[in-house]
Amino acid sequence: MTNKVYQVPYGTKDILPGEMKSRRRIENAIVGVFDKWGYDEVKTPDFEYVDTFGKGGTKGDFRFFDRDNNLLVLRNDMTAPIARLTATRLNGGEKIKRLCYLANLYRYEEIQAGRQCQFEQAGVELLGASGAAADAEVIVLAAAALQAAGVQKFAISLGHVGFINGLAEEAGFGAAQVKELQSCLRRHDAVGMQQMAASMENIRPEIKEIFADFLFLQGGVELLERLQGVVTNPKALHALEDLRSIYDLVETYGAAAHLSFDLGLYRSLDYYTGMLFEVYMPEIGYPIAGGGRYDKMMQGFGLDCPATGFALGVDRVVLALERAGVVKAERRWDVLVAWSEGKLLEAITKAADLRKEGRSVKLCTEAMDLTGAASAVKEYCCSSLVYVS
Amino acid sequence: MDEYITIALPKGKLFDKSVRLLAKVGYSAENVTEDSRKLVISNEETKVRFIIAKTVDVPTYVEYGAADIGIIGKDVLLEQDKDVVELLDLGFGRCRLMMAVPEAKRREKLTDYAHLRAATKYPHCAKAYFNKLGIQAEIVKLNGSIELGPIVGLSEMIVDIVETGRTLKENKLVEVDSIFTATARLIANRASFKLKFARLHKLVEDLRIVLNEEAK
Repeated sequence: MTNKVYQVPYGTKDILPGEMKSRRRIENAIVGVFDKWGYDEVKTPDFEYVDTFGKGGTKGDFRFFDRDNNLLVLRNDMTAPIARLTATRLNGGEKIKRLCYLANLYRYEEIQAGRQCQFEQAGVELLGASGAAADAEVIVLAAAALQAAGVQKFAISLGHVGFINGLAEEAGFGAAQVKELQSCLRRHDAVGMQQMAASMENIRPEIKEIFADFLFLQGGVELLERLQGVVTNPKALHALEDLRSIYDLVETYGAAAHLSFDLGLYRSLDYYTGMLFEVYMPEIGYPIAGGGRYDKMMQGFGLDCPATGFALGVDRVVLALERAGVVKAERRWDVLVAWSEGKLLEAITKAADLRKEGRSVKLCTEAMDLTGAASAVKEYCCSSLVYVS
Repeated sequence: MDEYITIALPKGKLFDKSVRLLAKVGYSAENVTEDSRKLVISNEETKVRFIIAKTVDVPTYVEYGAADIGIIGKDVLLEQDKDVVELLDLGFGRCRLMMAVPEAKRREKLTDYAHLRAATKYPHCAKAYFNKLGIQAEIVKLNGSIELGPIVGLSEMIVDIVETGRTLKENKLVEVDSIFTATARLIANRASFKLKFARLHKLVEDLRIVLNEEAK
């Protein structure tokens, strides 16, 4: 007799009956929308050679060795494996590729509700297409996937790496200052931005003000128009035009109500080259989805190809929906087929018939009398009883 | 204004100044005191809710989204490295993280302090500091009375916050190096900052005006 309680490793969890049923419904709804929009689902290995994820890898990777002492890593991101897959296995064929996935990812995290070391993402990559139409498509698809999952209240923040880089150029920043700027934005450090702005010399006061207020550059189309009147750097202006085109298209799709600009938005993954976005829900303290354009990443895998995409955190969506009271862990089947002594064969036939009709059926494994069967219906989580006697 | 703004306030030295400053921009409620029995205090009229928390817990409340915003020292932020938005430097609560040793143990160069033990409440910052110097040090985490470390032989050095330096003198410690200065900061949850942007933006603007007035 042992008193040992068997635990799961730090940052992992079991998904129990009922919970899994509602989660599967959400997953199916999301992947169903991806399919409707013409995306092909793919699956890549849970672990890869470490160089797929760039030279350094990321802090918090789970790494191990194979038998030949090659360094392997449990994937912490799906964009790089999809880029690898596309460059090595899908090179050629149609110019525009639409791929989607539902995958477990692994990253060492200080765990919180909705933040575990093993987590699930659903996402899409639209490869081979540059321009606002592709970017608008993935943004609207993110919104459509969330709505299909049952999320009603959410907000999309849209920014642009080109705007940030353009302003750094306008300010005459060297490499070190650009790094400092990126680091401030990544840390959401408005105080750091104020200090940076205060130390800037030989610069137009309007530009200085933009730097000081970088994290507060949030708003609608009027914000873009105001900035277009202030900024002169061509890269930054181009980024603003790009954002405007994306916004107009999202509006055509009818999803603009969820969208606002956030020009200080900078995501922790450094492969983005154009627009980038994050999605928030009131029930969760951190983003539930995010993505952007990454036109240079495919080069690293030997294919020069623009790309854009997003991923949404399935665990976070499930948690938010639970908190909002939209989903409950529920276990329910249509029919319980019970049988009296000697009637098992008839009961099997009956159950098969009912399943053919499309009903979900549990078949009792032992004979029962009618009163026992009637009280068993609830325990078996069935809606109705068929008694074979 | 249909939604509440929840504010996490830190007990201790930042508390009174935080309450006073927020009241000046219209964020107040009855009986917001440090020894309040109530853990959550709401003002239904202005849709503000206060949580009175232990100092080190404020960033956690905000990171989770249990509070939309909070006030906390930059020292705690640097130690905890939480994923929150740092909105505004409030200027008060100025203090300094520094490294000190007993007068008798003073050495010539900073790198001479390698392979010694340092007692601190800020293990993360202390480790980063020694790493930056390129020296190894053993970190002993304590939760208070850090100056006691060298006196009882628990450590050779301390890494701690000072305001006036009086405690150092009383315990015959000398400051060897200053690591950073810190002031109180207004922080926000990442999602709240986007979803309640208009209200939080106005709050920051109003606070800036008050702080500028006070600085004059």
